[in-house]
Amino acid sequence: MTILGSRKTGSRKNGTFTGQDHRNSVHRQPRRGEMSALAMRSVQLLLTIVVLGAWELLGRAGVIDQFFFPLPSDIFQTVWLWVSSGFVFPHLWVTMQEAILAFLVGAAVGLLLGFILARVRFLERLLDPFLQMFNALPRVVLAPIFLLWFGLGIWSKVAFGFTLVFFIVFFNTLEGVKSVDRVLVDNAKMLGASEKQLLRHVFIPSALTWIFSSLHISVGFAITGAVVGEYLGASGGMGYAIAQAQGVFDTKGVFAGMFILMIVVLIIDLLVNRLERHLLRWRPVRSS
Amino acid sequence: MRDIDLKVEPGRFVSIVGPTGSGKSTILNMAAGLLTPSFGEVKSFGEPVTGVNRRASYMFQQDALLPWKTVIDNVSLGLTMAGVSKAEAHAESRRWLEKVGLKNFADRYPHQLSGGMRKRTAIAQAWIVNPDILLMDEPFSALDVQTRQIMENELLQLWQESGKAVVFITHDLDEAIALSDEVVILGAGPGSTVVGSYEIDIPRPRDLLDIRDDPRFVALHREIWGRLKVEVSKTYESALAEEGEAA
Repeated sequence: MTILGSRKTGSRKNGTFTGQDHRNSVHRQPRRGEMSALAMRSVQLLLTIVVLGAWELLGRAGVIDQFFFPLPSDIFQTVWLWVSSGFVFPHLWVTMQEAILAFLVGAAVGLLLGFILARVRFLERLLDPFLQMFNALPRVVLAPIFLLWFGLGIWSKVAFGFTLVFFIVFFNTLEGVKSVDRVLVDNAKMLGASEKQLLRHVFIPSALTWIFSSLHISVGFAITGAVVGEYLGASGGMGYAIAQAQGVFDTKGVFAGMFILMIVVLIIDLLVNRLERHLLRWRPVRSS
Repeated sequence: MRDIDLKVEPGRFVSIVGPTGSGKSTILNMAAGLLTPSFGEVKSFGEPVTGVNRRASYMFQQDALLPWKTVIDNVSLGLTMAGVSKAEAHAESRRWLEKVGLKNFADRYPHQLSGGMRKRTAIAQAWIVNPDILLMDEPFSALDVQTRQIMENELLQLWQESGKAVVFITHDLDEAIALSDEVVILGAGPGSTVVGSYEIDIPRPRDLLDIRDDPRFVALHREIWGRLKVEVSKTYESALAEEGEAA
């Protein structure tokens, strides 16, 4: 499992799949001297216990200031309190709504425009400098203006998340469609494919690897967009809850909010992985 | 390339041989309608080719199977895209897979097959749409020698039953003579043209595994190679000269 965002390069290599000889790519067995998966998990667990334990002990001993770095036990207590009292769920729901809407709209528009621009060379050349300009803009500066335009409700966050998601999906789709193997396109054409059939049988499946590598990042960005937006001004949501805790110097609450968000994002990433494995099952198991 | 005048009669197996850079693939791509000639025109059955040539199938040098489709879906592709129902297309594909010896591999993905099996799949994919012309661009060049001879033999058998015209590109003169009715030699590029055309009168059916010992084969090979040799060494010399200039 990796954290969202660090995945980008992973499946790119397979974006231009030429169907070379992959017969030998079976599931990799651990090499000699390498740890089995179970042993690795145990060591990871041990590492977690050592780090959190050291934090806890140093905090209790007064070496670390408990005000700025609350004890792990206190943080987990706060998490439990937020969860068991049901306090966190309405906030989480608001954030999820914003993130899902931002993701859906951003991905849909990104995919559509990506496919169109990849197939119509004129439009790509026409729009390229503008897209580069907007992409160069640090997106956070848009949050205040979106707040003014769309108000404190969810739509300002959706708009903000959209600007983050759109560009990632768009550029990946554009690149994915453009990097389709020429010979696959020619072959499908010779077999009588219309432009629509080319899209369905060749371009979309071929671009899927790229689109998926962008999905992992863009799901994370959709949530980032929602939380940052809420933090700057909202009436509900995880960002709002964290901002409230910070307002009363409740660092435990800030950490608890971070922890809950982290878990939620991990779960979503897991689901995206599942979907990816299903849709890209034709791909040979990566040997590296 | 210039002044290419090439005619292929229905039911004939014609090979085009030439040194590297003589434009063999260009001719084929023009016949397929994937490229448009800058001068002149391409005609298929008396009709000028505009856009993709609908009466031709193309077998590429590289793997052109869609890696995300199973073998049977790949073979069915030409039919399903033409609007044939999936069940019907699959039934027809199964017949073809049996013909090329792959009926137990219908549900595999291309990456799970060997190079020879992928070529068999490609043959089935190209033939299932029942084209009048088959354009083949060094289809077996990536295979090892043994697999290649087996594939050539099978191709010949399929072709004999079908009465289709084949245009076969290769740089291997042995392969060209063994398979064809006619071998066309292209000159050294750039600006290459047809420098010779030879009728191959070895009787059919031929057994490709023994044909290289046939006296007629040996005689034809000597004659054609005498002409091809000149073009090959021209290409080689101009490549050397270019390298010399660069250095």
